[in-house]
This record gives sequence, structure tokens and C-alpha cells, in this order.
Amino acid sequence: MARWQLATTWVVFLGGALAAWSLAAATLPVPAYVLPPPLAVLTSGTELITKGILPMYVGESLRRIVLAAGLAMLVGVPAGLLLGLSRRIADVMYPLLNFFQSVSGIAWLPLMLVWFGFGERTILAAVNYTVLFPVIFNAMLGVRSVPRIYVNALRTLGGSRWRIVRDVLLPGALPNIATGMRLGLAYGWRALIAAEMLVGANGLGFMIFNAQNFHLTARIMLGMTIIGLLWLLLDYFVLRPLEEATIARWGLVQR
Amino acid sequence: MSAKIVVRDLGHEYVNPFTRERVVALSGVDLEVPAGEFLTVVGPSGCGKTTLLNILAGLIQPTRGAVLLDGRPVVGPGRDRGVVFQEFAILPWRTVERNIAHGLEIQGVPRAERAASVRRFVELVGLKGFEGKYPHELSGGMKQRVAVARTLASNPEVMLMDEPFASVDAQTRITLQEELNVIAQATHKTILFVTHNVEEAVFLGDRCCVLSRHPGRVKTLVPVRIPRPARTWKMFTSDPDFTAIKDQVLRLVREEVGAQEP
Repeated sequence: MARWQLATTWVVFLGGALAAWSLAAATLPVPAYVLPPPLAVLTSGTELITKGILPMYVGESLRRIVLAAGLAMLVGVPAGLLLGLSRRIADVMYPLLNFFQSVSGIAWLPLMLVWFGFGERTILAAVNYTVLFPVIFNAMLGVRSVPRIYVNALRTLGGSRWRIVRDVLLPGALPNIATGMRLGLAYGWRALIAAEMLVGANGLGFMIFNAQNFHLTARIMLGMTIIGLLWLLLDYFVLRPLEEATIARWGLVQR
Repeated sequence: MSAKIVVRDLGHEYVNPFTRERVVALSGVDLEVPAGEFLTVVGPSGCGKTTLLNILAGLIQPTRGAVLLDGRPVVGPGRDRGVVFQEFAILPWRTVERNIAHGLEIQGVPRAERAASVRRFVELVGLKGFEGKYPHELSGGMKQRVAVARTLASNPEVMLMDEPFASVDAQTRITLQEELNVIAQATHKTILFVTHNVEEAVFLGDRCCVLSRHPGRVKTLVPVRIPRPARTWKMFTSDPDFTAIKDQVLRLVREEVGAQEP
């Protein structure tokens, strides 16, 4: 679909949805806190912005995800690559990593509360853990899935082991590394919101959970919208350009 | 001419990981390839052609016998033996240019010299104008040209080619065969070329080595005494010498296929 067609489709779709929502909010016989109109969500947004609360909460959530996910990738990508270099180690680690990847950070939260206390450290640990495992697991898988023929080709050209790692295994693992980062960030973003709900004193998760105590439904909807929008922005301005410049350019993924 | 490659009493056995059967891929292979010879190895599928080539490349350790290159035993892969694989083994994340330069990069050849060499081989294999393309933007035939150019550019003493043109269309294959014939004349490299295609084997080879199967061993060596400049497909369709050799080799290969059928 052409760009303008896509844009038009979305404007029509969003406009229609907002109109239907407004109509439902105005006509349905329910109290305003059950279904506030879109305008109320917007108003709560401007109110929170002028008070400085929303920028602060968004900033806190972003700071946490950048910190926790950044550290997880810094550690996870090299760790996964190293594990992938040895068939034997990879075979041993596979079920282990697969196991931990499936036990979400949130499932660890009770234990982490005991270990790290009710606060910032627990949130960061839970998010860090959540991001770390898909990143390690996929980086390892990436190295293992590089076609053997590429490695052999380089060996016959006289390539050293380090050469093979640098010129073949690393770039060859990139599609999986990208998948791992994408999954890790997506899981991490969700884990962050959940952790902030339970442990946070600020941040978007705290905001929507706390708003519920005061029946500030518009504020909940606002928070949810922002959570989704921030992910779209991250995807559009960071993840996609990175993939376009590498794995898509090399024809390793189809767009 | 001295023997560049000597294969002595070579045997290779392995266990098929799926059926757990013991397979004797090669047994008692003796072969000498003089320096500068273009030897084609032909035989029915499953006769151990690729295994032989991989052993020469040093990618597989034989279970018996030895391979000597200039009198020294082959123990592993090395840049003195360049390989063109059957599958497209060029790297998708490198452009045509950088793929061709890869061997030179590994050898530590300075940038300017590398660029000059790449230009030369890009021209030789007919890839001018495609230097900046990535492999996924090329056709199968062009990918194999890149692979051939990469091997040539790294200037190995021996070129090992494993059915390099098997996965390109018939039209392109003829062009590539003709080009390889020209390259062989120009570079005088020792080339061992594995194929299941009899016509290709006779067209390209100075000698044509027919392998028997189960186990794979040298059945016959058929010399092809047709001067290289005369080898074009146009002439070959009408050349009685070529047809005679082709029929002879085909008969030998068919015996091997027939030996397996009731």
C-alpha cells in the first residue's frame, strides 16, 4: 500500500473509532468513570503535563527500561555469542536458557522483593532479568544457525578462528540477535509496567495502578495509550532503522 | 610435469547419523594430478565425489590413506587450496566487491592492491556494474561467478570445485563453463572439478576421472585430447572427437548406475 493510502486508512480508522467511543460514552447509561469520553482522556493528559507529573513518570519509566535493558543487552549479546561458539556448551545451555526465558520477570517479583526490598532495585532486577534471557538465548541460537558452509568457505580462504567469528558468525547471528533484542525489549517493557504497578512509587505502571484507587479512569486510559505509543515510537525510530541498515539490506529478512 | 596432488590409498568411512549404518564412501582411491591440469571427477550421485573433494580441501579427515600437496600431507583447510562450493557460499552481508576481496583481506593485502585485484576479477567473471550489490540481489549464476572470483582472487595453487554450476539454469551453465574454460587457459591453475554431468566433465577436463560407487574408487581415467581454444559449445555439438569421448564416459558412468539397478 502506498504511504498516503496507509495514512488515509489510519486517519479514517482512528477517527471512526474515536467517534464511536465518544458516542458510546455520551449515550450509554453508565457513570462517567466507567467509560470516560476521549476528550476526558485528552484533558487528563494536558492536566498531568502542566502539573509536570506525566513528563516525570514517562521519564522515570524510560530511564528504567534504558538502564535495565541496556545492561541486559550489553551482557546478554556477548554472553549468548560466546555460548554459541561451542556446540557442547550450547547443547547444555539450551534447555536452561529456554526454561528461564519462560519464567517471566514478574514471576520472580515475589522472590526479588525478599532479596532486594520494596523499591527501585527490585524493579530494575525484574526488568533486567526479563530482557536478559531472550537476548542470550537468541544470540546463542543465532551463532548456531549460521550455515556451516559459510564457516567452511572462510576456512578454505585461510581465515583464522577470530576471522570466522568476526566475519561470519557475528553478522550471521544478527537476525537472531535482533529478534532477541526485540523480544527482550517487548517483554521488558511489559515487565516494567507490571513491576511499577506492584512496587513503583512513580512511572507509568504506578500511574495507571494508582489512578484506579481514585476512579481516575481517564488517567488509566491515558497511561495505557502512552505505554503503547512509546513502544510504537521505539519500534519506528530505533528498532526498524537498525534492521533496515543491516539484516534487511542483506536480504536475511523479507520486508 | 610433477604431480601437484597425490592421493594415496585413500579411504573414508562414516556412520550415517540417521540410519546408524556404516557407509564406506571411498576405498583405495589412488590419483595423481599434475600441476596445471584440469581434472574433472565424474560419477553417479553417492559415489563419494564430494567426500573426495572435501578431503582434498582438508574439511574432512580421511579414515585411511593420505593426500599430498607438493609432497606435503594435507592436514586441514588452507588458502593454497581454494574451494568453490555447490551451494552459494558467499556471505550475504558482504557486497560482491567485498566478497571477492575477502581472501585478500585475510592475507593482509593492502587496500589499493586489493581493489586492483578485485577490479580485475570482477571483469574476468563478467560482474562489472554489480560490485556494490549484495548477493540476494543477484541471480544464481551471478552468485557462483562471485564465488569463482573470490577463489581466483585469493590466488590458490589449486582450485577445488564441487558441482559449482549444478544449481544454475542450463543457459547460464553453458556460459559459465565457457568462461571457466577461458579462465583455466589464462591462469594455468591446477583444478579439480567434481560433477555428475558427463558433458560438463568432458567439456572442461584435460582428463576425466570416472568414479565407481559402493565403495567409491577410481574406475577409469579418460584423457580429453582436445585443445582448449577449440572448446566452445558451438563446436562441441558437432565435434566427433568430443562426442566419442562423451559417449565413452557416459557408458562408464552408466555401468555404475546400472550396477545398482536390477
